[in-house]
Parts: sequence; structure tokens; C-alpha cells
Amino acid sequence: MEVPEFSPGLEGVVAAETAVSEVDGANGRLIYSGGYLIEDLAKVASFEETAYLLWNGALPDKQQLETLRRQMAVARRLKDSARDALKCLEADTDPMDVLRTIVSAQGAAKAITKPTLDEAIALTAVVPTIVAAAYRRRQGTEPLEPREDVGHAANLLWMMEGREGSPERVHWLDTYLVLLADHGLNASTFTARVIASTGSDLTSCVVGAIAALKGPAHGGATYAARSMLDKIGTADNAEKWLREQHAQHARFPGFGHRVYRTYDPRAKILREMAREAAPELYKTAEHTEEIALQILHEAHPDRPNATNVDFWASVVLTGVGIPKELFTCLFATSRVAGWTAHVLESLADLRLIRPASVWKGPQPGSKPLPIASR
Amino acid sequence: MSQYVPGLEGIVAAQTAISLVDGANGRLVYRGYVIADLAEQMSFEEVAHLLWYGRLPTRAELDALTLELAGSRALTPAAMTTLEALPKDTDPMDVLRSVVSVQGIEHRLEKPTIPLAVHATASFPTILASFHRRGQGLPPVKPRADLAHAANYLYMLNGKESSPELVRALNTYLVLLADHGMNASTFTARVIASTDSDLASCLVGAIGALKGPAHGGAPSQVMDQLEQIGAPENAEHWMREARTRKVRFMGFGHRVYRTYDPRARILKAMCERLNPTFYALASKVEETALAILHEEHPERPQATNVEFYSAGVLQAIGLPKEFFPPTFAVSRAAGWTAHVLEQVANNRLIRPQSEYIGPEPRKPVPLAERG
Repeated sequence: MEVPEFSPGLEGVVAAETAVSEVDGANGRLIYSGGYLIEDLAKVASFEETAYLLWNGALPDKQQLETLRRQMAVARRLKDSARDALKCLEADTDPMDVLRTIVSAQGAAKAITKPTLDEAIALTAVVPTIVAAAYRRRQGTEPLEPREDVGHAANLLWMMEGREGSPERVHWLDTYLVLLADHGLNASTFTARVIASTGSDLTSCVVGAIAALKGPAHGGATYAARSMLDKIGTADNAEKWLREQHAQHARFPGFGHRVYRTYDPRAKILREMAREAAPELYKTAEHTEEIALQILHEAHPDRPNATNVDFWASVVLTGVGIPKELFTCLFATSRVAGWTAHVLESLADLRLIRPASVWKGPQPGSKPLPIASR
Repeated sequence: MSQYVPGLEGIVAAQTAISLVDGANGRLVYRGYVIADLAEQMSFEEVAHLLWYGRLPTRAELDALTLELAGSRALTPAAMTTLEALPKDTDPMDVLRSVVSVQGIEHRLEKPTIPLAVHATASFPTILASFHRRGQGLPPVKPRADLAHAANYLYMLNGKESSPELVRALNTYLVLLADHGMNASTFTARVIASTDSDLASCLVGAIGALKGPAHGGAPSQVMDQLEQIGAPENAEHWMREARTRKVRFMGFGHRVYRTYDPRARILKAMCERLNPTFYALASKVEETALAILHEEHPERPQATNVEFYSAGVLQAIGLPKEFFPPTFAVSRAAGWTAHVLEQVANNRLIRPQSEYIGPEPRKPVPLAERG
């Protein structure tokens, strides 16, 4: 048998067929289920409509949307066992570890079941409850009960702060959630599909995806981008700071993407929102972006412009009033719609994902020495 | 862009020096040693050392590792209370997934290391034994530092020491299952590691993957099927009839081996010694299954897999069947962590591509116009 070539990171390898989303890197397009471009969808659809689209392949009508909103609203509460497990965790636990653990506890069941759409809806609905509880415990306050009379984004702000967010903040958050809901076969979505391929349950898939999203090279990048802006402080400090970092071969968080060869369409929308959502930080960010792209272009003139979604998401989330420790959790709040849609899609033609490896170890067959002779 | 390969079959996703599944020759190799040479001679600790460090330990190294494992068995207070918060009838795989998640919290985003691997591996038996006892209304048994990994697991499950024969059997099982190339759970762990996430995150993902019936969830299903068949004389009738209903035979089939799985051979011999009742039924079922499968697909190789006789060994040890998959995890934790360390040592984000099969781009209709 011919030994296939090793492509590190599986770059360029097609690991799934999907109709959930398409990252058209060459043309800078992100297409969601149903064939909608992200910039068109972000203008007309709420997070709930987007989730419905990813799960069902079509946008809901009024009736269908109302049914979904109702179903999500009543699924926001934690089970008693998950609530008890939450109390076991130290208040200062990394919110992603809280999310990973409590999603696992919420989904803990007597017997394994096949993933269903109802489960996908319930899981998506409960994530903000856990995220808000993690936030409030860090603040030293008690978690709040979810509300059933407001939408997904509004309820998250309510559970975090105990008061209603302004319509603008709700809108910025909702748009963020729409933009991040899916993105082809990224590492966390791929993780969810690998786990699903063994016939495992939906909770296991989502817990694995959260675990992958936690990595700084994936979901942790929004936090890193915001931390960079914190260090830069003001626009006039950007050039000096970035040049120093670059001289030390440090990477700029929020720049670079394996797939896009043009400006990330989500970053473009977030950039516009950021101007309004966080005017002060926007000034620093805008100048930082300009200098960063200039430095990167000088260093690699052959590479395309590369501001990614994390950079501008970090500014918008700041404007929404989300502390940076929660950024990765917010990413998960959105992406859980995509993860579950991918898992449900994969069920139609389930096949165990079991790649090969190339042996780089010692020649097989040497006899192990007994311990006395080692 | 390459063509879509379902299941990534034959696609190389990693270079590894940890284990080699030589399917054509029916060999499983850990760090150069053939599994048959390790299985009944090495302790789980020696094999874990081999997987983590790349070589078998000297006496002093083995003593140090044994001590380190024994010293890391206790659960954190948060992990213990989480375990107690979960309902008693929870699937033990879900308990393991949740409590490993808590046990790893103190390490946050630390880069995976061998000490962290030791720490995590040591905790698996404590979690399972404590939960098993809880289900029986019994208090957890404190781990014993003077017992090795296999002996201590049995001690914590039962509250007393097991016979040397059973300890040896569990030890051999743990050695045999400790690693197996780029299987789905190990691959999951490596994908998660590739994002620079932490070791606990890699492990909870791997546990989630192992839970699937197409992976580690099968041994308990082997038991279910054998219970339905009931007696050796029913095998032929039950299985032929089941086949007309397209029922899959559990414990058969493997994507990689083209000969008899070398681990299954060792486990089969152990079953014959330790669990004669199981063996009488299972060997008849195996014979019948292989005959039927051969009639249907004469071109395919013999295909009893490791799950089939694992079930009999784990039953002999006294484990209830819902503890079969998580006991697989007790063993595979060594391999998962070794692979994570290898991935991290030469990392690149694992991000494959997908092929879009949805509709061509079009404009969305606003809600008000959707009827």
C-alpha cells in the first residue's frame, strides 16, 4: 500500500462534506447554511433565527421562530445536579473550565442517547446560564435565574448583571453571536464531529468542542487580542509597542488566519460596530490594526491582509460590557449552535473518523529487557 | 485541495513514535516492543513509563514513578463533591468526563507535562471506584500508596485486596489497552492539544469519544448480546436469525487489523483461565460469528476485536458492565497523555477543510416577509 503523505495539521485535507457553512477564503466570503452570506444574514437575522437556520437548513417563519424561542426559554434552567456541581467549583475557576464541567454535568445521563435537535436546542439554551453563573461567582454574587420573556442575547446580559441591557448592547451582542455561530471545519467543530463519529452523545461532542475552543490558538485568541490592546493602552503607543514585539518575534494576536486570503468578512462587520460600541478603545484598535498590518506587510509582502475576527470581536465585546476573562465563553455561547448543527448533520452518514499515523519510532521487534538488566 | 476521504481513512494525521498498529502483520508495537512481549511481563507503571518517556524504566525510575502515581490518587475536594452531586444512576463514563474536568481545573492552561500526565492518570481509578461504591451506598475507600495501579483500583472498588491472579489479569488488560495508534479518542486528544489547550481538556474530549459504541462503548454491548444469546447451543439459531434483522455482531470488525488482533488473542487465553462460563459461550459465539461473517464476506479477514474478550476478563475481575468503557479509559489515559505530550512537542493546529455541499449563495428574506 502506498503510504499517504503527511500533511501537518491536516492542512488542505477534506475531512467532511457539509452544508452548515462554507469558508470561501479566496473570495473572503463566509456562507451559512441555506447559501446566505454572513453580511446579508447579520443584517436581518437574530441569533435564534441563525441557530434555526444552521440546524434546519432554512430560515424560520414567524411561527417556527416563536416555537424555537419558547423552547429555548424554558430550557435555560440548570438541572439540580448541575447546579450542585457548580457550587462545588471555586469561585475563581477559569470560566471555560466551569463551562466544560457544567455542560458535562448537565448532560450526564443514565444511558447514552443519539444526538437530537431537541437536545441541541436545550444545550444551546443553557450555555448562557452557565457563563453568567461563572461570571457572577467570580464577582462574588449569587447566580441569577434565567428569564423566559426575553431573547437569547438579552437574557445573557440579564443573568450577568441583574438588569436589562440597553437595546444597543443587546443588538451588538446578538450580532456577535450571529457572526461567530459557525465557521467550517475549525478545530473545535472538527473535534465535535470526531467524537460524534464514534456514536457518542451530544454532550460529549460539545464538551470536547469546548475543550478545544479553550486553546489559545483557537478560541483564546479574542482574549489575547484584548490583552494586547490593554498593553498598548493608547493609540500613540501602538507603533513603539508593536515594533518591539515584532523585533522579539512575538506574534500579534488577532492577526493571521489559515483560510482567508482577504479581509475576514466578520471582522469587517465587527469593525463597523466597534466604532459605535467602544469609541475610545476603537481609536487604539484602529491605529493598532494599521500599524500591525504595515509591519506584517513589510515582513511578508507576499501574504494577504490578515486582521481576523478575534481582533475586532474583542473590541465589540468590550463595548457590550463583557470582561475579557469571559470572551472565550462568549465564543462558545455562539459556536454551540454550529457544533450541534455539525453533529446532527454528521449523523445522516456516520462513519468513524480514524485517520492513520506514520511510525517514527524504533524498528519493531526488539525484546524488552527484564527490569534487573536495565 | 485533496478529495474528501470519509472517516479520513488512510489519511496520515500525525507522525508518532508511541505505538504502531501493524495491521497487515497483526502486530501492535509500543515504542518498538511487540505487545505480546510486554503484556504479561510488565506492570502498567512500566508501560506508562515506556509510553511517556520512550523507554522502559530502571528499577529506581520505576520506584519513583510508582510513588508519584500513588501519591496523586486523591481527588481534589471540588472533584469529590462534584462526584457526589451527580445522580447515583449516572453512566460512569459521564461521571468520569465530568470529574476529570474538575480534577484538572487547578492546572488551568498549563502546558501539558509528564508530571501532569501522571497526576491525571492516577485519578481515574479513584473517580470510578468512588462512584461505584456510592452506587452501592458505601463510602469511598481511600487509595493505598503501597499498592500498584491495578491492585489499588481493585482495592478501592471492593474495599479489600484481590487475589494476585485477578490483579495480574487487570494489569495485563491495562497494559494491552494502553495505546493503539491514531484511534478516534487519541486523535480527539491530539486535535484538542493542537489548539494549545490543557491536558484536562484533551482528556475530557477523549473520554467523550471513547464513550461512543463504535469505539470504547462496545464491550458492554458485547455483554448485552451474549446475555441475549444465553447459552452456546442457542448461538447458531440466534445469530442467523439476528442477521436477517441486520443486527450487528458486537466485538467484531476493525478497520486496521487484517489478521487476528494480537490483544484479543491474549485476552481470549485469559478468559479461558479466569472466566470459563463466559468462555464457553463466547468462544461458540465467536466461532459462529466468524463463520457467518465469512459466508457473507469471504474476502474480509478474521475480525474478532479487542472488545469481545475484554468483556469476559473485566467480568471475571468483578466489574459491572457499565464500568467496562471507563476501565478502558483507565488504561488508555496513559496513551492519551503520551500522545498529547508528543503533539505539543511539535505542534501545529489541526484544522482540516470541509467541502461545501449546500446551496449557492443567495439573499435571505427578512422575517416579516417569510410568512
